[in-house]
Amino acid sequence: MSLLIYGLINSVILALYTVGFSLTYGISGLANFAHGALYILSGFVAWSLMNTAGLPFAVSGVLAVLITAAIGFAFYWVLILRLRGIPLAELIVTFAAGVAILELMTWKGFYGLRYSLPVFVNGGVEIAGVGIDYQRLIVLASGLVLVIGLWLFVHHTRIGLAFRAMAQNERTALSIGIESDWIGALSLAFGAALAAIAAMVVLPLGVMESTIGYDVLIYALAVAIVGGLESTLGMIAGSFLIGYGQIAAARYIGAKWMVIVPLAAIVFVLSVKPSGIFGKFKELEERV
Amino acid sequence: MRRGAIIFSVIFLLTTLVILPASKATAAKPVVIGVPTSLYTPFGRDGLKAVKLAVEEINAKGGVKVGTQKRPFKVVIADTRGGEPSTPVHDALMAYERLITKEKPDAIVVGAFRSEVLIAGMDLVAKYKVPQLSTIAQSPGFQKKFMKDPKKYKYLFRVTTDALVDAAYLNNTLDILKNKFGLKNAYFIYQDTLWAKAFSGLMSRHCKKTGWKIIGFDGYAAGATDFSPALSKARENKVQLIGMVWDVPLGAGVFAKQYAAMKVPALLIGFIPPMASPMAVKTLGPGVEYSMSIEFPVGASLPLKKLPKTGGFLSKFKKKYGSLPEAAAVNSSAYDAVFILAKAIERAGSLNPDKLAAALEKTDYAGVSGRIRFNKQHIAVFGTKDPKKEGVCVIFQWQKDSSGKLKRVPVYPAFLAEGKIQLPPWMKK
Repeated sequence: MSLLIYGLINSVILALYTVGFSLTYGISGLANFAHGALYILSGFVAWSLMNTAGLPFAVSGVLAVLITAAIGFAFYWVLILRLRGIPLAELIVTFAAGVAILELMTWKGFYGLRYSLPVFVNGGVEIAGVGIDYQRLIVLASGLVLVIGLWLFVHHTRIGLAFRAMAQNERTALSIGIESDWIGALSLAFGAALAAIAAMVVLPLGVMESTIGYDVLIYALAVAIVGGLESTLGMIAGSFLIGYGQIAAARYIGAKWMVIVPLAAIVFVLSVKPSGIFGKFKELEERV
Repeated sequence: MRRGAIIFSVIFLLTTLVILPASKATAAKPVVIGVPTSLYTPFGRDGLKAVKLAVEEINAKGGVKVGTQKRPFKVVIADTRGGEPSTPVHDALMAYERLITKEKPDAIVVGAFRSEVLIAGMDLVAKYKVPQLSTIAQSPGFQKKFMKDPKKYKYLFRVTTDALVDAAYLNNTLDILKNKFGLKNAYFIYQDTLWAKAFSGLMSRHCKKTGWKIIGFDGYAAGATDFSPALSKARENKVQLIGMVWDVPLGAGVFAKQYAAMKVPALLIGFIPPMASPMAVKTLGPGVEYSMSIEFPVGASLPLKKLPKTGGFLSKFKKKYGSLPEAAAVNSSAYDAVFILAKAIERAGSLNPDKLAAALEKTDYAGVSGRIRFNKQHIAVFGTKDPKKEGVCVIFQWQKDSSGKLKRVPVYPAFLAEGKIQLPPWMKK
């Protein structure tokens, strides 16, 4: 039973890591390699607002999400605009920005044993004999709300519909008056905000360190590659495959194999179906 | 008149220019201490702070006497990043070698963070003949390699404990838990690195020998962030004691919170930095109560009433840096190492590495961490008996005081104890 429950929690955490990365890529074709850095940056922003400005966690968390979204938005205009359409350059510049953020945080002293965000609610319950804390239940609920909320957003709001139009065909979207640079900037802002929301619910489970940024990026990449880079359904499938795979590997093979699972999954999927389980980018080549 | 003024001015300026470098040249040349370590870890950062504190004290008294001249200490630093899970040993060693060749230190203190780097770096230190007083890495692999060629590795010394000492303290505490409280089954979780594996292996073997039932012995990768498989297994098997050895703050922090969150009804003991830190209650919450940890050696972060030198060092540290060291390990060793080095230089009367190594071998120093002497393997002698005869460690437990405030109470060994081990209410029959 604990395998089922903790496998589910692990899968939802991976989905939360990935949802922002996947959204940005799905809309604008931009692989934001600073995603992990923005995730942990938002955590330290929240911590700093709590411990220096004395704000409560709820306020600090909301502000951290908004600030991270603004950073994502600014990224587009400062870093991406002139490189738009050159995927390798986009990848390199976002990766470099991510490393710069992480190193800057380390240099500023964001490491050690003191950085931790508080849990939303203390305590826990027992489900079928398995102890589980409220914070992990909140993680589950957040994952569910985020996926449903995103679906409603992209299907029933003007910006969401513009996102979908861009994702389907950028030139046609341009011809009907959708400004691609604005949508690109917004996609980065939304992706960054989703990374920050994930950070606000997942980081209270442990302590914070800037190196988490690298882990989050690797997990997001693994999930997106396994599921299919641009596919929401693929993202969910990838999260569950790797999430359960990790917990099962730890339980039945050995705990140290947990870190191997996402990397092995990347290698396997790339060699068998390079588009990922639900991806369509290389579908034609794969058929031929 | 005007001509005289010009001649005077020229002579004055020339004389000043000549004298200035001359006066600089006569200033005592500093003795350079190299600190190549993983600076962005609490151990490396606070170790360096302790070194600087000791250097400041020595320099305030005029420095260290080399032959007939008193010379100040100067600290040069290299961040090896060896404590970060993603840094390969080779990269850490490159930073190490660069410090040795570029800064040309007369001696090295603190040194490698990770044992893998310490052991691989022994050849580097031997090659450049720089006396080294290592104060972080804990693997007994050091002495194993040392004994293969003591002549070659004679420049290397370990001032702090090793996993054998740490495990001895915890094993004695496990005996108390078994004999006094009747605990009989245990689960060990460790970070899959050299020292942690050795440390937890020693504990597990001791338990097997003394009649404990070992339910699990799981190694997790240093970057792990989910311990639910082990904690679930421990819960399902009604484990009474969890032994945990981990030094990377991230994983240890996740474990500490997850252990409390999953309400595993087992006593927690081992080395879990966020749980042992003076700021554990603030970082992790009240779930730290009853957890037990080793501080190796004494004086790393916990002032002990029965060893006033620990309080002396820690209050100086707090006064200078604003807070106590974060990690309950090795900080006092870094502080002691500088004084041990200073005394050895004075005995040797020279910075010649061979003479200095010979002088270090004769060390007999009453430091914060106890009495420090080196054995034939060049490791400081630590034990569980008497701080006047050897270096010592302490086991403490987070307990509530009469006002309900959580405090770290030394519980073992008896000569340092300020309280008794308490069993959590949910474990009492």
